[in-house]
Amino acid sequence: MAIPYEFHYEKPLTLQAALELLDKHGENSRLLAGGTDVANEIRMGFRVPGLLIDIKGLEELKAIRVTDGALHIGALVGFDTIRASKPIRDHCHILYEAAGLVASPGVRNRATMVGNICSAVACMDSAAPLLVHDALVHCRSLGGERVVPVAKWFVDNRKTCIGGRELVTHVSIPLQEVKCAGAYQKMMRYTGEDLAAANVGVLRFADGRCHVAFGSVGPIPKRSPRLEKHFLEHGVNPESIVRAREMLEKLIKPISDVRASKEYRMHMAGVMLERALIAAGERLKMPRVIAGKE
Amino acid sequence: MEKLHAVGQSAVRVDGKEKVSGAALFTDDLEFGPDLLYAEIVEGPHAHAMITKIDTSEAEKVPGVLCVVTGRDFPYNFGLYMKDRFIFAQDRVRFFGEQIAAVVARSPAAAKKAARLVRVSYKPLPKILNPLDAIEGDASLIHPGLKSYEHVPWFFPQPDTNIAHHRKIRKGDVEKGFAEADHVLDDTYEVPRYAHCAIEYHAAVAKYDHSGRLTVWASSQSPHTQRNLFANALAPMGIRHNDVRVIAPHVGGGFGSKAGVTMEILAAAIATRVKGHPVKVMWNREREFYNTYQRLGVVARLRLGVKKDGRITALHHELYWDAGAYVEYGANVVNAVGLSAIGPYRVENASIDSYCIYTNLPPGGPYRGFGYSEFLFGLESHMERIARHLGIDPVEIRRRNAIKAGDLTAYGAKMNPSGLMQAIDAVAKEIRWDEPVLPGNDEEAVGKGFSLFWKAPAMPPNTSSSCFLKFNEDASINILVSGMDIGQGFLTVMAQIASEVLTVPLSKIRTENPDTDRNPYEWQTVASHVTWGCGNAVKLAAQDARNQVLDLVSRTQNLPKDTLYLAEGSVRCVTKPSFRMALEDFVIHGIQMPDGTFRGGPIMGRGVFMPEYATTKADPETSQGGHPNVHYTVGAAAAIVAVDKKTGKVKVRKIVEAVDCGKAINPDLVRGQITGGILQGISTVLYEEMKFDHRGKMLNPNFTDYKIPTSLDLPDEVVPIIIEVAEPDGPYGARGMGEHTMIPVAPMIANAIDDALGLRIKTMPITAEKICLALLKKNEVR
Repeated sequence: MAIPYEFHYEKPLTLQAALELLDKHGENSRLLAGGTDVANEIRMGFRVPGLLIDIKGLEELKAIRVTDGALHIGALVGFDTIRASKPIRDHCHILYEAAGLVASPGVRNRATMVGNICSAVACMDSAAPLLVHDALVHCRSLGGERVVPVAKWFVDNRKTCIGGRELVTHVSIPLQEVKCAGAYQKMMRYTGEDLAAANVGVLRFADGRCHVAFGSVGPIPKRSPRLEKHFLEHGVNPESIVRAREMLEKLIKPISDVRASKEYRMHMAGVMLERALIAAGERLKMPRVIAGKE
Repeated sequence: MEKLHAVGQSAVRVDGKEKVSGAALFTDDLEFGPDLLYAEIVEGPHAHAMITKIDTSEAEKVPGVLCVVTGRDFPYNFGLYMKDRFIFAQDRVRFFGEQIAAVVARSPAAAKKAARLVRVSYKPLPKILNPLDAIEGDASLIHPGLKSYEHVPWFFPQPDTNIAHHRKIRKGDVEKGFAEADHVLDDTYEVPRYAHCAIEYHAAVAKYDHSGRLTVWASSQSPHTQRNLFANALAPMGIRHNDVRVIAPHVGGGFGSKAGVTMEILAAAIATRVKGHPVKVMWNREREFYNTYQRLGVVARLRLGVKKDGRITALHHELYWDAGAYVEYGANVVNAVGLSAIGPYRVENASIDSYCIYTNLPPGGPYRGFGYSEFLFGLESHMERIARHLGIDPVEIRRRNAIKAGDLTAYGAKMNPSGLMQAIDAVAKEIRWDEPVLPGNDEEAVGKGFSLFWKAPAMPPNTSSSCFLKFNEDASINILVSGMDIGQGFLTVMAQIASEVLTVPLSKIRTENPDTDRNPYEWQTVASHVTWGCGNAVKLAAQDARNQVLDLVSRTQNLPKDTLYLAEGSVRCVTKPSFRMALEDFVIHGIQMPDGTFRGGPIMGRGVFMPEYATTKADPETSQGGHPNVHYTVGAAAAIVAVDKKTGKVKVRKIVEAVDCGKAINPDLVRGQITGGILQGISTVLYEEMKFDHRGKMLNPNFTDYKIPTSLDLPDEVVPIIIEVAEPDGPYGARGMGEHTMIPVAPMIANAIDDALGLRIKTMPITAEKICLALLKKNEVR
């Protein structure tokens, strides 16, 4: 694959060295983790950096840990690692579920979850699971650490609130006090790998709360406070689901593009919401806790 | 019936070990040393425009660039059946992405960088993106020079229109036939364009050396036809056929896209400007979609009259083909369908109008099925609808109308022997047609669909195949042929045929990819004809070698030739059971006589096959009188589908397909073709969808948004069934079957969806979205 664009390349071996490079080159640099987005964007000439900083050598960004009441997922953790991680299956099953639907096995072998939320393409699979779990994004620069709730992370399609001299070290997912269970639904043109034409994440709690997030039906993935309030007030039942699907018409703004028409996206968002709510409800009834603490 | 030892066996592929071990080399794997140059193509960003200026000065300044070539360097046209195509665009571009110029450089990066600096000015012209617009009276002409293009005698271009060819059938009395009908169904079906999606990209490397020899290495289905077209196109430069040599390495999938000549001619032409250097032109996935061939789109108006009992009384089929910017190959798709759009039915009164229409979309060309998938989508949907309307079982209506040996085809020649009825029965039994299917849950609807299919090879009447067969000292054999193994198992089947005749085991037979300097002529590996055509040539070559062997033994051993035969690699004699001469004892060095002298020498067989009964000579107004198609291969198929009523998503539970291949020379390979064809068919009906914007630019030239199935999208069960009713002039009775296997899939899935949901969809593809939105419109889903 010939890339007709020229750029410099550095591979720092410590986080400090990476942050120094970032500090020096700022917006003129880009970070390379899995590279499944970056390599394409450079090949096509969309976003060619002056300096490509390869962070794959930073061992401290590869960990998945459960400490201090949270699940921590390092910036270099790939989707296949997520699929193989027992702590993630136990504490954030919806992320495990979504990770299995990202692209194809080859891409999952390289692509990272943090890369996914940094590329911030509206159809990403990671956002809805992280949103319903109130995850936090941990950014570092030479100036120190900054923690951003994932609900405030996305600014626009392909745009986050990350600073030009920052890198994301990890994402943390608070462990839930109340028993809960999630479900992820992805609208795909077929069963094989696809980008989500729309997606829905639901996290239902034993105390009746319900978190709902949508992706690919607007410029950024979002929680839906209106629906969450609706389900808190009316519970999750066939009638409240019918009402919720009616409310959806005003809550999301899907577009028509090569992947689907807005009519089909709107319809599918409703079907997926219903199916995710039912699936999460079934999981909540299972004796083993799928996410959160007993 | 003769007892066969090699033919009819599911032999392991002769190229299997090479491919599995990684020893197999493809064009892009070949090494050409430090002199290798790379060409990058400059594309036009208009679907239809005049080129007013090309400025290459900035591109030429890029370090590493040797030269920039444009249409002015090669003012030549070429084409397989009609010379309407150009090496580079001349004064105008006719589709979005057409090649305008090429930059030749020492590295791909330098070539790409410079290509972006070639400045081209255009004057846009009105563009036509739909075949029905192109035949409006005021439509602008895409090829004002149409009337001057050379073409084969069986094409009928309409000068000063956008109609490059019109194939007409007039058979019987159609008016009377419709008058006699109890029921007439009239409707329009649309099948859009499709892409082949071979995994290996097109690739070509060409070298024009200082002696004037042009060698081209290309991923190709057609090495000899490429040599012919290169030599013809470049003849003004003094290049002759014996100056051109095409070497064809392994091919990673073709499906028609690597037949004829497309991008390969760029390498051949560019090489003449950089003598002594090999030049590589490598396509990428995007160009695979928009600048090779695409399957033609079609709008088909179909009117079918039947009696109450379902018997067909008349058929009128009008097909408006979106053939694209250049139709040098695609016009023959239009022709083939024009001859065959009655389907595998006995139709006494038929009229067919098949129009080849220029549009400003990428060139249409050969694609597995060669137009038959497209017209049978409508015809087989129609048959099912008529059966349901009349209350006749859909399988029964097909039995009542199925064409039989001796019935007249649309052009008046007799139908060849076929096992169509056996195929129908075998499929109906295996799919349990008479038993109901049950949904798996409340949100699912299930249904069954049926379809017949047929197809003939579409070839010039003088299409030929040939073979050299050489013995080696140990009585191992090299078979030299020029067909291509594009995954179907061609090389294995040729070896099996030679093994059958010469009783030499397959392990001692080598058949490899061709080099046009060394291997004898083959037209192309297309039309599902090589097992039949080249198989005949190999059989004749093997028989020629056997004849030489028996002659030699007869005259040296004083045994009557008609008492001699081959068995297990030795010559035996019916009257002298103890007589045995092993082939390895004499096939190169001959047989020594009592006086010490030798007789014989290397045994080399030669075989040539041409169907000497074929002719395209017929009345152009009716197409009656000729024998353009050598034979039809027929079959039947059925599917069970389950549809998610809330999302429209279709799951194929089971597909059964029976094909009458005459004789399965290698049954496993036949079953592989059936399974592969079914999957390709499923892909076209359920997933693949080309999208173009208002400028004629393809919006999804990639696998992100042009979907072909993964292993997760396969049917739960596929049952291939082999029917064998021998073809009289086929090797061991074999006839072609490779393309045919995908043809029934689209209509039978459409029929099954209709059965499940009561929803008739008349435009392909039948995506989940299309089904779901149609159900929403009917208020049958929430």
